[in-house]
Amino acid sequence: MTSLDANIVIWLNGLSGNVKIFDDLMRLAASDYLMPLVFSLGMLGLWFSGKTPAERVKYQLTMLMGISALSIANVVVWLFNIWLERPRPFVEHGDELNLLFYPPTDPSFPANPVAVGFAAATAACTINRKFGWWLYAAATLFGFSRLYAGVFYPTDIVGGAIVGIAIYGFTTYLRRFLEPLITSFVRLMRGLSAA
Amino acid sequence: MNTDPMAVRDLFAGHYFLFAFLASIGALQIAVSNSGIRGLWLTPHAGITRILGIALILTGIAVFFLQPLWVEGPWAAGSVEADSLTREWGKASWSEIAGARNVNDIHGGLDGVKQTGWFALAVILAFFVSAVVGTLSMKILSAAESGNAGTATNSDTDGLEGLSNRPYLSNLPISWRNFRADIRVLWRGELSKADRWSLMRMLSRKGGSSE
Repeated sequence: MTSLDANIVIWLNGLSGNVKIFDDLMRLAASDYLMPLVFSLGMLGLWFSGKTPAERVKYQLTMLMGISALSIANVVVWLFNIWLERPRPFVEHGDELNLLFYPPTDPSFPANPVAVGFAAATAACTINRKFGWWLYAAATLFGFSRLYAGVFYPTDIVGGAIVGIAIYGFTTYLRRFLEPLITSFVRLMRGLSAA
Repeated sequence: MNTDPMAVRDLFAGHYFLFAFLASIGALQIAVSNSGIRGLWLTPHAGITRILGIALILTGIAVFFLQPLWVEGPWAAGSVEADSLTREWGKASWSEIAGARNVNDIHGGLDGVKQTGWFALAVILAFFVSAVVGTLSMKILSAAESGNAGTATNSDTDGLEGLSNRPYLSNLPISWRNFRADIRVLWRGELSKADRWSLMRMLSRKGGSSE
C-alpha cells in the first residue's frame, strides 16, 4: 500500500516541469490562502442566502454546524498526527520529487486542508446540493494540487476527506447536547439584524 | 539577509485582511442580492450589486496574489527550500508570482488560527460597511421617491427579513426589541423540546431539584 502510495505521488509529481502554466495553477490552488478562503466565503454566502425566514434559520444552523466541524476536524487531524506521525513524501522520497510547495513540518496523515474542505462541502451539500458539489470539487482540487506538489500521499487525501465528512456527521449529532444554545445564538444574531 | 518572521507575519496579516475584506464583502453582496436583502446592498439594483460582488471577489484575489510584484517581501520566489531567514527580501517577478505567497507559517506565513481571526474581523467590517452604505442608499432612494418609501414596511418583520425593505439602522431597534420579547419563550420552548442529553436541560433540571 505504501509503495503504491509512493508510486502514485512520484508519478504525478513527475508530470510537473513540463507545462509551466499548469504548475503555476497548481501552486496557486495549493496555496494556504486561496481554497480556505473559498470554503469560508461559501459558508458566509449561505448564511445570507435563504429566501424565507424558515429557510434562513435552517441555513444558519447548518452553517454553525459547519464552522464547528472545521474546528473539530483540525483537532482530530492533530490527534492523528500525534498518533501516526507519518513522514511527508518529500522526506522519504526527496530525491525523486520536484517539490512545488514549501516543505511543511507537520506529519502527513490525514491531509488537514482536505479534511477542512470536505467538512465545509458536506455542510453546504446538506442544504444546497449543487453548491455543495462545487465545494467538494474545490476541496478535491485543493487535495490534488498538494498531491501534485509532492507534499501529500494519495491516502492522506482520502483520509482527510473521510475525516472531514465524518466530523461533520459527528458535529450534527453533537448539536443535541448543546441545544437550545445554538438556536438561541441564531435568534441573538437575528436580534442584531445579522440573521 | 536575516528576516524576522514577526515582520513577515505583520506584512502577511495586512495583505490577508484586505484580501478577506474585499472577498467577503463581494460574497455578501452576491448572497444578499440573490435573497433580496436590500438593506445590505451597495447599489440600488440587484443585478449591479451582484456584478459588483463578483468584481470585488476577483479584485481581492488579484490584489493578494499579484501584490508581490510591487510590494517588497520575503516571497517564496520559486525557491521553496528557502526559509524566511535565508530568503531575499524583494519583489517577485511574473515567473515567480504563482508560488510567491507559499511561505510556511513558521517562517512568517499565516497559520489557520490567525487566518480565522483576520477573516472574522474582515466579515464583521464587510457587514457594517454594507449596512452603512445600504442605509445611505435606501435613505437617498426614499427621499427621491418622496412618499412611496416606507409604505411597504411591515413592523412584524425583523432580522434579515426586515432588511428586505428597511435600512439597517431602522431595523436594528425593531429586531432587538423583538429579540428581548421572544428570547425567554423561545428558550423555554426549545428547552422542553431538547434532547434528554442536552447539557442545558440537564443543568436546568439540576437547578430545579436543588431549589
